[in-house]
Amino acid sequence: MFYRLSGVHHTRYETARRLWPVPTDRWQVWILLALAVAAPLYMSDLYLSSYMLPWLVWSAAALSLTLLMGIAGQLHFGFAAVMAIGAYSSIHIVRAGWPFEIALIGAGLTAAFIGCLFGAAALRVKGLYLVMATLAMQYLVDWVIINVPAISGGAQATLQTPDVTFLFVPMQSDAALYYGALLWAVIVTLLVLNIKRTSFGRALVAVRDKDYAASIIGVNSFKYKLLAFFTSSFLGGVSGAVLAFCYYQAVTPEQFGFNVSIQLVAMVLVGGLGSVIGAYLGAGFVLLAPIFLTNVVAYAAIQGWLSVSTNLLAHIPLMAYGALIIGFLLFEPLGLAKIYDNIRKYFLVWPFRHSRS
Amino acid sequence: MDTTDQTTHDGVTLACEQVVRRFGGLKALKGIDLGIRQGEIFGLVGPNGSGKTTLVNAVTGFYPPQEGRIVFEGAAINHLKPYQVASRGIARTFQNVALFKGMSVLDNILLGRHIFMRPSALASLFYWWWAQKEEVAHRRQVEEIIDLLQLESVRDEPVDVIPLGMQKRVELARALAAEPRFLILDEPMAGMNQEEKEYMVRFILDAQEALNLTILLIEHHMDVVTAICDRVAVLNNGEKIAEGTARDAIKDPAVVAAYIGKSNDAA
Amino acid sequence: MAYFLELLINGALTGLMYSLTALGIVLIYKSAGVPNLAQGAMVMIGAYAIWMLASMAGLPLYLAIALAAAAMFGFGLLAERLLLRKMVGQPIIMIVMLTLGLEIFLRGLGPGLLGASPKSLDLGIPLTPVIVGDVFINRDYLVGGIVAMILVGLSLLFFRTRLGTKLRAVSDDHVSSWSVGISVERAVGISWGLAGISAVAAGALWGSVQGVDWTLSTLLFPAVAVVILGGLDSIIGVLVAGLIVGILGSVIPGYVDPIVGGGTRDVVTSLIILFTIMIRPHGIFGREDIERV
Ligand SMILES: Nc1ncnc2c1ncn2[C@@H]1O[C@H](COP(=O)(O)OP(=O)(O)OP(=O)(O)O)[C@@H](O)[C@H]1O
Ligand SMILES: [Mg+2]
Repeated sequence: MFYRLSGVHHTRYETARRLWPVPTDRWQVWILLALAVAAPLYMSDLYLSSYMLPWLVWSAAALSLTLLMGIAGQLHFGFAAVMAIGAYSSIHIVRAGWPFEIALIGAGLTAAFIGCLFGAAALRVKGLYLVMATLAMQYLVDWVIINVPAISGGAQATLQTPDVTFLFVPMQSDAALYYGALLWAVIVTLLVLNIKRTSFGRALVAVRDKDYAASIIGVNSFKYKLLAFFTSSFLGGVSGAVLAFCYYQAVTPEQFGFNVSIQLVAMVLVGGLGSVIGAYLGAGFVLLAPIFLTNVVAYAAIQGWLSVSTNLLAHIPLMAYGALIIGFLLFEPLGLAKIYDNIRKYFLVWPFRHSRS
Repeated sequence: MDTTDQTTHDGVTLACEQVVRRFGGLKALKGIDLGIRQGEIFGLVGPNGSGKTTLVNAVTGFYPPQEGRIVFEGAAINHLKPYQVASRGIARTFQNVALFKGMSVLDNILLGRHIFMRPSALASLFYWWWAQKEEVAHRRQVEEIIDLLQLESVRDEPVDVIPLGMQKRVELARALAAEPRFLILDEPMAGMNQEEKEYMVRFILDAQEALNLTILLIEHHMDVVTAICDRVAVLNNGEKIAEGTARDAIKDPAVVAAYIGKSNDAA
Repeated sequence: MAYFLELLINGALTGLMYSLTALGIVLIYKSAGVPNLAQGAMVMIGAYAIWMLASMAGLPLYLAIALAAAAMFGFGLLAERLLLRKMVGQPIIMIVMLTLGLEIFLRGLGPGLLGASPKSLDLGIPLTPVIVGDVFINRDYLVGGIVAMILVGLSLLFFRTRLGTKLRAVSDDHVSSWSVGISVERAVGISWGLAGISAVAAGALWGSVQGVDWTLSTLLFPAVAVVILGGLDSIIGVLVAGLIVGILGSVIPGYVDPIVGGGTRDVVTSLIILFTIMIRPHGIFGREDIERV
């Protein structure tokens, strides 16, 4: 009796369409949000700024990507480059003397425009070609950043983020940075959730599922694919900027390399394509699983249970991460979101075994 | 826009003029002439592979005709893309049900309202102040169609789990949601039993009356065609071989030959 | 002029060696419709296998290569059997990601087990360049180019044999080749095995040029450019596009790198991919229908 479905009736279209129609889900969301807001009170600074904060920002980035790959069905293998564009342009806009708030929007727009250019090249052909075009984008953007000192920050190729204030709050303390990341994650989450229940999201899904049927009800599929690219790249760009200002504070091109793009795709897939909660679960899993595994193996080595070279230890994250992707694709293609859903369904009807959904 | 066409004078709303469509070497439409009048139910019949679906695809912009013209309400539409045809007030259903799997019945029908909505990411972001109003307004319209076609019981089900007859009805609902003036139904009763067929006929007639529609109906069930079509055209091998009231057309010797002699011709 | 010729010839030969990597991708795509993004990592594993057999086990080089080829054939068969076959009918993203997952796994496995530092693989090719007129030609590249041409030629011949005809039938239409009794699964498996063998050839040659370490897996990128440009399902395309990608990727950086400070080769490769997709997505020799949505 964790979830009480009986007695839940909707009498208005507004409530029938609310984000979490089941009261228990709604309570869980509020509790999670309260926990997140209170995190600086009960969490050590170390955990706050080296686990919670990056997890939130990567989740926001994964959400941006799941909007494109899961909801609109367009593949992107260069999303780290989109984030890089956002990160670098935000820093340069702030350095040029503009306020941080403007810089964030500028970062999103720059990333969106450049991202659309590459998307437009391949949107008329098969998805596989989009993979290749976005791959090429990754390499081109990397190269431009590395080879144009004006962008990368000169010879040492690291660019410090300037001190900024956001809505009059100086972004210096760990708590302020954390709240910045939390705010962005909440915004992206609400946006993606709302897109999924409005006409924009429906049109995207329609184009993904059956573009000919979509076109006969008036959906211009090229336009909507491009809009998906624009929106998702905008969000990715801002996520890159937030990552730079709130987490890295000194950016280098390697932070946004090809491997990071693959990592983002893995977050989306492991979490479950198109799922919002999946983006959070996937980001957490992909960030933590390799660390966890390395620690387990290292611990076992110290205990003398098995002998591993430091070299092997260093490569465990990579192997774990490849194996994870393979494992999820083979055994749970719908990802962690599906696992969560199964658990929720179990409790939904608890203590019984079956019910109508 | 050329509105010189005089066919509009005798109440013709959709006219095909010498429409030709080839697929490689195959000529699927060999110069079709057709005039469908405002407010009528026009039947399009013919043996399998005679070009009925191809003609509909030409009208709706999927396979633009290589020669000839298609005029709707006085304007040529044969160069338009399908999504542009939709905004001119033409809606259709498909021979093989083309619903969006995984979406609910309600969402499928809501998608039919696409041309009246202003989808945008910003509106979604500010849902409570912006998109919600639009969603609810269109939801009301959709509920009327759900009432009309008696789909209340499956409203929240995913479309792929409901029976085929129901799916065809949902597709009709989606087409109606676009408030078309011209509706094309490609075999809406294929694979249905007698009872389902009768329901469907009822719904088509109700919809026509409620929305003041002109309907182009492709159907193999001759009983249905004779019962509800004001006029019919018979296609065979990409050519129109007869036109007129259903009773007359069926008796036409060319039509009899096309249906009965089909096996002989094919040899 | 000599500088240009040198860039041209060495570029052409490098390009042919790209073809070796690309060949595996085309073999698999042609029969299974799967774009194998793990091919670069398979090249790396092939090179590691040779190095292990030759340097660690002390086998004679050519025996080591033959054994490695057999092993990689088996690896290809296994990968198809255990991984890809389970994904038949899944959306393309899942399949692409599976090959990428394999790529990442292998990239960790090889260096993880054998050490990250580059291993040298000596094929007995002298270091002194061949000098024609006043043009210096790298001997490794020369051998590589020749081997590439031979392998591509063999692949072309192969598709004329009975087994090859089977593979062609499979690529044309899975369902109908089932109905006429061609074992689709075996044919697809064999094409993976063959991709494994071509990976060993590429691994041997590239390993001897730049040493054996994880960077061999980055050959994937030029190989992707080659298959896109040549056409995903065209073997002859691999050869021609390999030459183009190699030459452009050598001549252009040869003149532009000194000005902009390096790394233009990746730019050239990226642009080749982008322009092909924009202008002629099915590539120079690919069948037109492979691009259709
Ligand atoms: N996309 C296409 N490519 C090639 N040929 C096609 C295509 N679409 C239709 N045809 C051909 O055009 C001819 C007419 O087909 P069409 O689907 O219009 O027939 P139909 O009258 O709708 O038949 P049915 O009653 O079976 O639905 C057929 O010979 C068919 O094979
Ligand atoms: Mg038909």
